[in-house]
Amino acid sequence: MVQMYLVFTTNYFPWLTIIVVLPISAGSLIFFLPHRGNRVIRWYTICICILELLLTTYAFCYHLQLDDPLIQLVEDYKWIKFFDFHWRLGIDGLSIGPILLTGFITTLATLAARPVTRDSRLFHFLMLAMYSGQIGSFSSRDLLLFFIMWELELIPVYLLLSMWGGKKRLYSATKFILYTAGGSVFLLMGVLGIGLYGSTEPILNFETSANQSYPVALEIIFYIGFFIAFAVKLPIIPLHTWLPDTHGEAHYSTCMLLAGILLKMGAYGLVRINMELLPHAHSIFSPWLIIVGTIQIIYAASTSLGQRNLKKRIAYSSVSHMGFIIIGIGSITDTGLNGAILQIISHGFIGAALFFLAGTSYDRIRLVYLDEMGGIAIPMPKIFTMFSSFSMASLALPGMSGFVAELIVFFGIITSQKYLLMPKILITFVMAIGMILTPIYLLSMSRQMFYGYKLFNDPNSYFFDSGPRELFVSISIFLPVLGIGIYPDFVLSLSVDKVEVILSNYFYR
Amino acid sequence: MEHTYQYAWIIPFVPLPVPMLIGVGLLLFPTATKKLRRVWAFHSVLLLSIVMIFSIDLSIQQINSSSIYQYVWSWVINNDFSLELGYLIDPLTSIMSILITTVGIMVLIYSDNYMSHDQGYLRFFAYMSFFSTSMLGLVTSSNLIQIYIFWELVGMCSYLLIGFWFTRPIAANACQKAFVTNRVGDFGLLLGILGFYWITGSFEFRDLFEIFNNLISKNEVNLFFVTLCAVLLFAGAVAKSAQFPLHVWLPDAMEGPTPISALIHAATMVAAGIFLVARLLPLFIVIPYIMNLISLIGIITVLLGATLALAQKDIKRSLAYSTMSQLGYMMLALGMGSYRTALFHLITHAYSKALLFLGSGSVIHSMETIVGYSPNKSQNMVLMGGLTKHVPITKTAFLVGTLSLCGIPPLACFWSKDEILNDSWLYSPIFAIIACSTAGLTAFYMFRIYLLTFEGHLNVHLQSYSGKKNTSFYSISLWGKGGLKTINNKFRLLTLLTMNTNESASFFSKKAYRVDENIKNMTRPFITITNFFNKNTYLYPYESDNTMLFPLLVLVLFTLFVGCIGIPFNQEGMDLDILSKWLSPSINLLHQNSNNSMDWYEFVKDAIFSVSIAYFGISIASFLYKPVYSSLQNFDLINSLVKTGPKRILRDKIINVIYDWSYNRGYIDAFYGTSLTGGIRGLAELTHFFDRRVIDGITNGVGVMSFFVGEGIKYVGGGRISSYLFLYLSYVSIFLLIYYFLNL
Repeated sequence: MVQMYLVFTTNYFPWLTIIVVLPISAGSLIFFLPHRGNRVIRWYTICICILELLLTTYAFCYHLQLDDPLIQLVEDYKWIKFFDFHWRLGIDGLSIGPILLTGFITTLATLAARPVTRDSRLFHFLMLAMYSGQIGSFSSRDLLLFFIMWELELIPVYLLLSMWGGKKRLYSATKFILYTAGGSVFLLMGVLGIGLYGSTEPILNFETSANQSYPVALEIIFYIGFFIAFAVKLPIIPLHTWLPDTHGEAHYSTCMLLAGILLKMGAYGLVRINMELLPHAHSIFSPWLIIVGTIQIIYAASTSLGQRNLKKRIAYSSVSHMGFIIIGIGSITDTGLNGAILQIISHGFIGAALFFLAGTSYDRIRLVYLDEMGGIAIPMPKIFTMFSSFSMASLALPGMSGFVAELIVFFGIITSQKYLLMPKILITFVMAIGMILTPIYLLSMSRQMFYGYKLFNDPNSYFFDSGPRELFVSISIFLPVLGIGIYPDFVLSLSVDKVEVILSNYFYR
Repeated sequence: MEHTYQYAWIIPFVPLPVPMLIGVGLLLFPTATKKLRRVWAFHSVLLLSIVMIFSIDLSIQQINSSSIYQYVWSWVINNDFSLELGYLIDPLTSIMSILITTVGIMVLIYSDNYMSHDQGYLRFFAYMSFFSTSMLGLVTSSNLIQIYIFWELVGMCSYLLIGFWFTRPIAANACQKAFVTNRVGDFGLLLGILGFYWITGSFEFRDLFEIFNNLISKNEVNLFFVTLCAVLLFAGAVAKSAQFPLHVWLPDAMEGPTPISALIHAATMVAAGIFLVARLLPLFIVIPYIMNLISLIGIITVLLGATLALAQKDIKRSLAYSTMSQLGYMMLALGMGSYRTALFHLITHAYSKALLFLGSGSVIHSMETIVGYSPNKSQNMVLMGGLTKHVPITKTAFLVGTLSLCGIPPLACFWSKDEILNDSWLYSPIFAIIACSTAGLTAFYMFRIYLLTFEGHLNVHLQSYSGKKNTSFYSISLWGKGGLKTINNKFRLLTLLTMNTNESASFFSKKAYRVDENIKNMTRPFITITNFFNKNTYLYPYESDNTMLFPLLVLVLFTLFVGCIGIPFNQEGMDLDILSKWLSPSINLLHQNSNNSMDWYEFVKDAIFSVSIAYFGISIASFLYKPVYSSLQNFDLINSLVKTGPKRILRDKIINVIYDWSYNRGYIDAFYGTSLTGGIRGLAELTHFFDRRVIDGITNGVGVMSFFVGEGIKYVGGGRISSYLFLYLSYVSIFLLIYYFLNL
């Protein structure tokens, strides 16, 4: 008993392992639940999700020093001896934010997925499996483990997409798996390359490989390999076409996970591996990153304008917002990188909420194309309110999180020492043009959906407004958006120290 | 009394609880919240009154001690940079906050009645209070980032309020247009802020001015870059204040409810651009060319707004163009460097224009009962006329506003406009000539509005818009099931060239229209016809409720007396008016301490000149628009003029050109529509096509190709031994060939 107590109070309790393993193991128990209908399964899943979220929060609250930029809650167990493969987990300032975001969004996505009745055992199991995979990849400190976790969450997404998607679900699912698996090949090549470089023993630990330096040519090759993998995931143009299809077809709870977390894994990987492990190559490639980012902002925004499909339009808007992350990462400044991390969190909330609201309104009006919709604001005022609020958040209205993130990225590019005056002016200018395009597509989307009187005149139509569950989901996403927008140090304080450590590599080497 | 300053940060936050509580209430407990309608309205008025008392207190202290108080908190702390929030209380802030709160309270009281039958009553009050919050935040903000934040929030409130009646497609388009146009300005504002941050490393106004002046004196800055940044900053003000290239949103913004046109689009938000330029004047004044640009934009807007206001048939749109023109005067004054005059005109114009808008709202409110709730008709001046005897109090208020805006002596706008005109003579004769002639135009179009609305007979009845029958046909019930029947724009004919020709033309066209309807409504022609002749069943507009008249009367008082703050009184031998005393720190900051002592002879001379111009405009307007049947002499005059032979054709042509120009909004909207909107649409189509066909096409192509390769291999591997053998042998021969060539 005393030992148990000790175990719970000291740092040596394997918090992270439990956090990573709990969802998937508890999820596999779903299949052994008695056949009592879907209600039991739903409640069970939600309870697991909430428990996991509480556990994560507890662990982070009491066993983590926020001002310590080093890795904490480290766990290191030998797993496969002969090539020195460890189960090595750890948390630092970079991954706290995404892990909490994952817990939050997944819990709400499970809540949003309550209308799913077909095959709900498998569905909820897959949700929980994804949960594990995502937290695992955010918290792994070992390259191969990172790769395994990265692959682990692909399979649930594929199944969720191909079984619970829309009409063209098989096409989209195939496209998704081919794209991401294709990207994973490069990831695996990069992982093995870094691991096998230089010595007979494979080195897969992040810390040891972070301190290692490579010949420039080799580093560039590694960089390109990793970059392709993450560029598919983030996505970066021209590797983005899986995203609109996937988001257009998936069920909206899956969309929440995809937009909220999955895309952020790409950005996380870019910072974690490309920036931290391969600084030379990153400083070589960063101008290109910034150029690609600015092109992406404009390109995706203007493509979004041309979309008729509601979900695809939102999907392109997320592609456009990812441009800010790329620019923040490419700016190689404290400010820019902080802005990118803030944008990761902020877009996680906003994108998920937009997809959720689009999905719920689709459930009611059963129309996909924007030009067929219209006038649903009167019967559904709550959805209208929440949707307009999140559109405003997405177009970077001050007071919401998106504004702060984009503003800080702007500062990052302005204060960057690496670039000359003229390119900086040009890039800022082009980025700011994106600021004009964003309201055009977002507002015209909400105008086409809600304003006017078209559907409203139809005597046969009768719509329910969003119920308490949906309202709860959207409000609980809205509050953090507002909170971060008003006091951004909530998130920034988590990552500031780590960002400084990462960037110190660029100046002292 | 220092501690009053300490608590000044509370100014923007006092009205905030109302929108928050209403928002939460409407989302969570809709029915319970909606039952408490008046309670919410009362609270928002109460909170705004508290702010008003507070800001009056602050301004009295400002006048007495004229100190500037600033306080900042840190907001975002990072290693490299930190953002701060704070507040800055100086004369400009106190003037603006008094203006916002007084007009705001009046408008809130007014809209309690105006919106009382609207289902969005609470939503309206929530938006209004939130607007007050963000506008007060804008004027108290102490650095550029904070300005930008509230700038956007104010824009969002404007967006929400323009689109308040979002079931109307026109309103939906108008709010999007307003937001996007303002975003273009914000784009410039943000880039300008970033540029100045890059140059000086600071956002705080005073640090910014100091560092910048140092840099300029040491000649350490790239002048081109600085000018570019200043122009970009100015673009923000251009968009918000509806100055020339970005003015297109303001007339469309009149789709919103009338109270917000009074508060946001006449008195406060559109003045934010003037406020920004006034705030940054110490910065602009040291950069060459930028002041010239400001005054140039100002004068273009003055003239453009006035000419566009000439032929509008919608009462609110005419007022909107007039607002634009008056804002141009302020911008012109700022460009000339006369800071005090611009602010003086800002104050006087805000009260007069709020009065005019509220008066027009009252007119619209009383017309709505007759012609229905379509803005095409209730705001249409063609259908008005002769309202004097029906709405006498509104008429008086409106007349006071009109006279004030025309610049007739005892009223507010006279004093400020006169000063602007005087200053413009000192600045540049060409600008002065344009400004003076525009003053005449102002008088002309304002009186045109007044005469069309209140003089003559009620045109609705002449054109046989009977109250009972046709409202059901024409009107839309805003929230009900009825669709919007936009009347087709046959009104194009009625350019209101002269009232006598116009009247008959409109009468005939309407009659034709009526006949069509009668054919359509063949099922009950009998009733229609009886109604057509029986004039006794006509409804007449009636005066609005006291709740609406009270704010009008208060604003009339303001319009009458607010000019006093700028009139120099003789105090102990020193000619110093209240406004100059108030603004003295800012004016000293600008090193423009010119002689405040005014020569009364000069003043009277200039005043007589400007008043005579105004009277000239008024007389032309009354000559053209005074209804014929009320003044027969004019009719003879018109006839004698009309008969003057060949010159008449030329004159008609010129007038037609002017009216076409004005009616089509100077073709600027059409140009933007085709070039910018079309361009963006085209770009969107192009990128969409590119994305679908090229980028996605490559992916799909790879997929299809792998499918064909697979099929081919399947075909080859169909189980026939001979094909296996063939493949095997061909591969062997290829390798042999390679081997052979390599060994050569």
